[in-house]
Amino acid sequence: MGKQSIRVENLVKHFGKGESLVEVIDGASFQVNKGELVALVAPSGAGKTTLLMMIGCVEEPTSGTVWLGEEKVYENRWLTKETRKIRREKIGFIFQAHYLIPFLNVIENVTLVPQTNGVPEKEANKIAMELLEYFEIADKAHAISSELSGGQNQRVAIARALANKPQIILADEPTAALDTKRSVDVVKMLKKIATDQDVAVIMVTHDEAMLPLCDRILTIEDKKVVSHEVTQDSAMI
Amino acid sequence: MINLAQKDVKHTLGKFLVTAMGVGMLLGIVLIMIGVYRGMMVDAEVLLDDINADLWVVQEGTLGPFAEASRIHEDLRNTLRVIDGIENAEALTFQNIQLPKKPKPVRVVAVGYDPLGTINPINPDHIIAGRALMKEHYEIVVTDTTGFTLGDTIHLVRNDYTVVGITHGSVSSGADPLVYVSLKDAQELQFSYSNNRIRSDRARGFKNTETLMVNTIVGRVKAGYDVNAVAREIERFKHKSVYTAAEQKSILTKNLVQRASKQIGMFTGILVIVSTIIIALIIYTMTLEKMKEISIMKLIGIPNGMIIKMIVQETLLLGFLAFLFGNLFSHLIYGKFPKRVVLEIPDAWMLFIVVIIASILASMVGVRKVIHADPAAAIGG
Repeated sequence: MGKQSIRVENLVKHFGKGESLVEVIDGASFQVNKGELVALVAPSGAGKTTLLMMIGCVEEPTSGTVWLGEEKVYENRWLTKETRKIRREKIGFIFQAHYLIPFLNVIENVTLVPQTNGVPEKEANKIAMELLEYFEIADKAHAISSELSGGQNQRVAIARALANKPQIILADEPTAALDTKRSVDVVKMLKKIATDQDVAVIMVTHDEAMLPLCDRILTIEDKKVVSHEVTQDSAMI
Repeated sequence: MINLAQKDVKHTLGKFLVTAMGVGMLLGIVLIMIGVYRGMMVDAEVLLDDINADLWVVQEGTLGPFAEASRIHEDLRNTLRVIDGIENAEALTFQNIQLPKKPKPVRVVAVGYDPLGTINPINPDHIIAGRALMKEHYEIVVTDTTGFTLGDTIHLVRNDYTVVGITHGSVSSGADPLVYVSLKDAQELQFSYSNNRIRSDRARGFKNTETLMVNTIVGRVKAGYDVNAVAREIERFKHKSVYTAAEQKSILTKNLVQRASKQIGMFTGILVIVSTIIIALIIYTMTLEKMKEISIMKLIGIPNGMIIKMIVQETLLLGFLAFLFGNLFSHLIYGKFPKRVVLEIPDAWMLFIVVIIASILASMVGVRKVIHADPAAAIGG
């Protein structure tokens, strides 16, 4: 742990203009290192998803600076036109629901991004099978999502997020649709991924019971991001 | 590389095929409409080709005998026969009649000709049973679609006619079945009145001389003579309108069939436009159904080009399958139409090109939707 995977400095996001101007994030600065699982916690409407989308190169910030690994990708403007390529090569996304492509089977869902990145089909399949074995779901490689349980689908979705060997995983409430036991399993799995794959994981969550499983907690207070160490009282944040 | 279109179609194969069948039926109707037009053109020429005359002499100032009514004296035939360049000439009549039959009468066009003459309007290749007329009275040759068989007796006006021959594929320019009777019988059918009418005419001092009229005199020109020159010669000295075979064909196809063909052409055009709109709507709906997946794909970094390729390939496949189903459908039903429908391969290829162009245009609505899809829509449920 220690090497930066994502660094944000003075990040600002405003919506609207003039009297209708809304300041969502105003001068957020933080860093998440490789191997860290960080929870992003804030009340609804505080700007969690907006922050996640800015880090994920989906939503353009108003100003500030964003580094992904050693590469500066934003400094008051995108430094590349290919933000989609950055997402495809450096970021893994996990959503509330699994959001697998319903007309692709498990292995096709997992290999879609690597193959788009130019990884040969055979090699992409090998990577995918290793991931599916890691998540103990290799026997379902040729099933489609409608044939899997919720938990199995979520594991496939996590495998898909890892298939492009990302530097950062952005998880938007990945446990929202799961019961407590499964939620704990998923968060433990994310922690294991962060450690084993040496990636930074930022997880938006409303579930306070998951916070003690994380390495750090980021909160949005007064439109700024504040970092907290995990303590026994973390569940009370 | 994963082919998204192939995977998506395979996933919803049943729905995709049913949709293609639906559009295919519409395209099948387009093919049938074109076939009806082709059939009209063929029908218009059947009788002309069977008679195979070089010249058509009709009442002066008319486009007879098909496009306008024409009445000329039968004995003009004898005058024409002695004109330099004429090899032979015969009188013909054409009239619409209803043959009595149960459960309902059959509407036909009766061709009257001299069975002992030199020009026979019955194409021997069309006779499938019996023979052509051999007597001057009370024989009739009918087309198979009338439903009569050899030996049947048909009562017309005052007399009974015996069916002595059956033809196949003999139709008038209006696609009505043809029957053939002798010239004398035809004149009587066309120009004879009832006894009451004759008595009434006599009381008025009128004498019925119309039984000596015919609708046209057709002639063949001797080898080495210019058909047009002979036609203009007759026109100048006999005060009749004279048309060559080519002119008569032109009158039929341009004057009689052209308006109908324009109407069919408009219907066909509208159907093609409707098909394009329907394909566009289907693709739009199919794209809308996939908007969540498209947003996710854009979010995880799949390029627009790959998603657009999926939409365009699906649209082209839909168009191609619809085209195949359309051809199948049209070939299954075209024989059930009461009039001739001619399905030609060049027309099918033309429709194929139109369908492909229409599919590409239709896919644009889906492509536009893809380009404007917001990847952020995938986040936040």
